[in-house]
Amino acid sequence: MISITPATVLRRRSDVRYRRIEGEAVVLRQSAAEVLVLNEVGASVLDLADGESSVGEWIDALRDEYEGDSATLARDVLAFASELAEAGLLEPVAGKEEP
Amino acid sequence: MSFGAGFLRHPDLFPARRAGEPWGDRAVALDVAGGPYLLSGLAATQEEALRRRFGPLCGPVEGGGTASRVFRAPAADFLPIDTRGWEYTLDLDPAPDALRVAGLHLMARLGWTPALAGALWTPETAGEEWTSVCENYLRLLTAYRLLEQGGALLHSAGVTDGERAWLLLGRSGAGKTTASRLCLAAGGTVLSDDLNAVLFDEKEARLRKLPFTGDLGDRAGGPESVPLRAVLRLAQGTEEGLRPLSPAAALAGLVAAAPFVNRDPFRREALLAVLERLARAVPAWEVTFAREGRLWAILRSISIP
Repeated sequence: MISITPATVLRRRSDVRYRRIEGEAVVLRQSAAEVLVLNEVGASVLDLADGESSVGEWIDALRDEYEGDSATLARDVLAFASELAEAGLLEPVAGKEEP
Repeated sequence: MSFGAGFLRHPDLFPARRAGEPWGDRAVALDVAGGPYLLSGLAATQEEALRRRFGPLCGPVEGGGTASRVFRAPAADFLPIDTRGWEYTLDLDPAPDALRVAGLHLMARLGWTPALAGALWTPETAGEEWTSVCENYLRLLTAYRLLEQGGALLHSAGVTDGERAWLLLGRSGAGKTTASRLCLAAGGTVLSDDLNAVLFDEKEARLRKLPFTGDLGDRAGGPESVPLRAVLRLAQGTEEGLRPLSPAAALAGLVAAAPFVNRDPFRREALLAVLERLARAVPAWEVTFAREGRLWAILRSISIP
């Protein structure tokens, strides 16, 4: 289990390819037998995973885009980031954890 | 398992170039979607078997086409394989400018220099053993050639009423042949129950007939090219009906149904671009159908926006 906190910095793995299409995202991995469809929040998380900004900064950025409870959004983004890391789509950037 | 180890006795001796000893001086040009495909270096028995297998699709060789040379390979170079209950998958080793392929009694290499060209090494010289090797190679070559032309090869059943076509997506066991039989029985025409080509013209996406079929066998007659009106993901069940798919869900299904190239990381961007265009251009649905049901009527009920 990969532990993801708001301070974690993640990036897309180099073999991940994806397409945004009408809000959702279609994601392919090197082992292309699996093709994933992500909803709008998941797609936004993929967009934001540039290896520079932290998960906490993603939450701040998405707060402006999505209506609803801020705590729920934070929980959803952390859960998505964790799932995408577990699925091998995102990886932590060593030495980039924010204080 | 390393590349070729499931098929070849000496994977490390895989031919490094598209060269070798040809079987003979015969050639065949096949007029198949994405083609023509020119196969040369053939023995007389290989040429005759291909002409029997592909019949009117064999055209004049003078016109050229995507070139492939066929070379000799000793039978001893290939591992014996018990094919009972076996699901055959070609072993691929993609690189930026080449693709190595190992399979049942075949080694192949595609290269881009810059035009796509191929080589096939096999010990098979005649009969179904040879045409089977050649067809497996051609399926692969067609997938790559179609991609170069902005199209795609798709694991699917293609059915038509002569004026419009429906593409039924599904891997082995998803019900493509069952669905094809239902459409046939209700008066439809089946282009193929296994592999179909999609290409774009100036106006629209079109389904192109291919000579690569599944359990239903060769489909003689019928149109060669029909406007594609819908993409459908197959689901079997008792509650028949349609459920719209988002373009993203359609794209995911199309990628999963694009054999060979969806395992090639160097062509995946191009594949995504082609299939995204298709997913945006053609409406997609999940169709649930029963074995004795009214699938053909459901397909024909789909209204086009």
